[in-house]
Amino acid sequence: MMSQCSAELCMLLIEDNFGELFARIFTVLQRYERLTLPRLKFYARLTDRQLRHGLSAMIQHHLIYHFTSLDDGNTYYEANPQAAYSLVRSGKILQLVENRLGEYAAQVLEAIMTLGHSSIAHLETLPELKSKRQRIPNGVHHDEHKIDGEGEIEEDSAAPNGDHAVSEKPAYLHPTLKSLASHGYIHRLREAHFQSPNDNWLDASRIIASRPDVKQMKGKQQAAEIEEKAKDMVKERTEGDLSRGLIYNGVPQGAKIRRNHGDSESNKQVSNGTNGINGDHVEDEGEEGNDWSEDEDGIDSIPMDSNLIIRVNYEKLDVALRNTRFLELAEQDAHSTSVEIYDCLLRRIEYQTARCRDSFEIPREGEEGEQYSVPIQLSSIVEDVDPNLDLAGCIGPMEPSTVLNRRGKRPLDDDTNGVNGDKHEDEPSGKNRAYEIDQHLSILSQPPLNLTTKHVISGLPTWRVAFRGLARKLRHLELERMIESRYGDVALRVVRVLHAKGKLDEKRLQEISLLPFKDLRQTLASMQTGGFVDLQEVPRDAQRQPSKTIYLWYYDPDRVCSSILEDTYKAMSRCLQRIKFERSRERDFLEKTERTDVKGHEEEFLSEAELEHLRNWKAKEALLLAEVSRLDDMVAVFRDY
Amino acid sequence: MSKSTEPNSLYPQKYTVPFARKLSPAEQTQVDYYRGLRESFHEGPFYSVLDASSSNAKKGSAARANFDAFHGMPTYSGRYQKKRRTLPKITGRPYFLKFFPRELWQTLQPNFRPDTSMDGYQAQASAAGVKRGFEDEEDEAGPAKRTAGGEDEDEGDVDVDEAALLDGDDEQEEEIMDDDFSEDDDEMGGDYNAEQYFDDGEDDIGDEDGGGGGGDDEF
Repeated sequence: MMSQCSAELCMLLIEDNFGELFARIFTVLQRYERLTLPRLKFYARLTDRQLRHGLSAMIQHHLIYHFTSLDDGNTYYEANPQAAYSLVRSGKILQLVENRLGEYAAQVLEAIMTLGHSSIAHLETLPELKSKRQRIPNGVHHDEHKIDGEGEIEEDSAAPNGDHAVSEKPAYLHPTLKSLASHGYIHRLREAHFQSPNDNWLDASRIIASRPDVKQMKGKQQAAEIEEKAKDMVKERTEGDLSRGLIYNGVPQGAKIRRNHGDSESNKQVSNGTNGINGDHVEDEGEEGNDWSEDEDGIDSIPMDSNLIIRVNYEKLDVALRNTRFLELAEQDAHSTSVEIYDCLLRRIEYQTARCRDSFEIPREGEEGEQYSVPIQLSSIVEDVDPNLDLAGCIGPMEPSTVLNRRGKRPLDDDTNGVNGDKHEDEPSGKNRAYEIDQHLSILSQPPLNLTTKHVISGLPTWRVAFRGLARKLRHLELERMIESRYGDVALRVVRVLHAKGKLDEKRLQEISLLPFKDLRQTLASMQTGGFVDLQEVPRDAQRQPSKTIYLWYYDPDRVCSSILEDTYKAMSRCLQRIKFERSRERDFLEKTERTDVKGHEEEFLSEAELEHLRNWKAKEALLLAEVSRLDDMVAVFRDY
Repeated sequence: MSKSTEPNSLYPQKYTVPFARKLSPAEQTQVDYYRGLRESFHEGPFYSVLDASSSNAKKGSAARANFDAFHGMPTYSGRYQKKRRTLPKITGRPYFLKFFPRELWQTLQPNFRPDTSMDGYQAQASAAGVKRGFEDEEDEAGPAKRTAGGEDEDEGDVDVDEAALLDGDDEQEEEIMDDDFSEDDDEMGGDYNAEQYFDDGEDDIGDEDGGGGGGDDEF
């Protein structure tokens, strides 16, 4: 069941992206839940044609689930709010993919998003994917561009996917798709993906229940059996993982890893020397050029199956986004070297994490058990970390024995040297490096954030991340941030006390929080009106006299989270509505800029003042959209992570 | 100076309005990507509005009644105006029918004919999809012109539909601009005819031939 605010938000998002027709159909389906075509037509007041075309197109974009019942033969349509909501995250996702896999990968993903779902064969025919949009002039790409052109000609002559043509056609497309697939950002589309999770579940349990061996069972045993088998069945049916066979040594194809290549090393050394610790982003760009050429002579000559139908895997992308969020958290108080090592650890974990959590809803506070990520061996993190990263610079001196090795230097000297970025003469041995990385991860594992957890499996040190605890931490931090900005630091202290101690009466609360009564009462009252804290009355006698009643203040993060979530939805809706309104105010002008002859030739047709106006409008819209995306970060924390 | 008559300050006199932070470069790219994707949705075949009310709308239809007389009049520059679909364009790309419910197959592939030997529910689905009278009329009344662009590989009847989907083809619009009134006149039965009102007395001169040139021939 959708709340009013999220329903409104989904409607606005769809309207913003796909127009009013889709929004109308979606709203009706949200309001009336699942409907058959005739009922839908009745409620939506659309013509048959509009409805059929609209529904088909919406199913193509996964905005609607459908389910054909075997009992009455009717097809039911149902809104898919997750898909509608993920429209707002598209910008973030594309940016993430661009950072991870380069611009072309983002372009490919964008094309898949535009199409809803698509077969590989169809992607091959898209003109915009044939050539790499070149923004960075780079010598490496030019010759490959030519190959692209040839492929295009070939493709035209042999249009229906002849296998030989496919194999050498788009130079980038297949490697890119493979790396997207191996990262799990796209997955295979199954028929079950078009049915709502509930339908899948009911369908599966019905099939299981009709099996003869299950029918023989009785009572609880049968129910348990059905539950378990149905779970497996749903999992099997919705399984779309494409990464199998594409991951080598736990690292997916096309992943950018700072490896120690012969020619690029000298380059790196230079950049490291000049920029010191912060120089690694420079390397990233340098490596980007090499990325594809490397892959092409390697394992990547086999194209993907062109009959494969793929779509964007939002679940997995949520995992990736969550990891970036953790990285930001780490950045707040850890050194950039530690952050980088943490990044390597999180990447490794991301490759093996399919979704943020197993349960559909966020579990209630205190009822959720810890769920650890897969353990990652220290040695593989050592492999991933940039070999030129200065590890020792920002952590304290080693144990005396190692310090003495360095020509008996005093620890303090050693430390300051490291900070200045001077490379030590003695090459740190592998063992030493591993130890240092271990140290960095230990720093991260310290409270209050506990970003990592050490776990020793059969003598080998491994590291993992306690995701549930961290997600909870994120939620709390978000709430605290909000309380502080609304009610000030006094309120923050009160809330923290209440959270730590549970329910407290006013006197006790005052003793613990060390606040004057007046301040305390004021803040508590204003927070109660805001819905952040609440009061429980415990009468001591049957008459419920106020004088004989205990009043307990409490703070329930679950409740606050859900109400904040609704508020956030509402705020996002308002931002989108504001954009709509601003657009309607500027409609005449914007229509002019969108004219078919003006579009793309703005400089030619518009006057200087109009260009300025257009820039202003774009900036204004960008500000509102950025606000929506910031609010989406909060939604992700409260709902998805 | 007495404050007795003034409203007491239950409300804060001045609100401190929080300002949004400036966009970071990362946020700027996110927004740009979002807008890029939205743009490609808008340019794509599925973006469709509910009523694109303009004078091109068919007579007697609801869209015509909502016509905005001040801004909706066709103008010369209107030919460049972005056309909005009122119906998503389905043709022009492959679909995987197995992912769609059976009752939509015919929409996705117009040449698809449901087998007569289908199981029970097929009949019901098609019965549900029977069009009502007025819609049929609307569909067929669409301009029987074919768009010049041959992007669609499908059958002819689809193309005809295609022309109807866009709320105004270029040709159609020009036509309307040329003879604004004459179309209306035919249908309204000449109750009051603004064009002919002034033309009445001049019939003998023969304005059809176009002024002086025609006159020369006659004499």
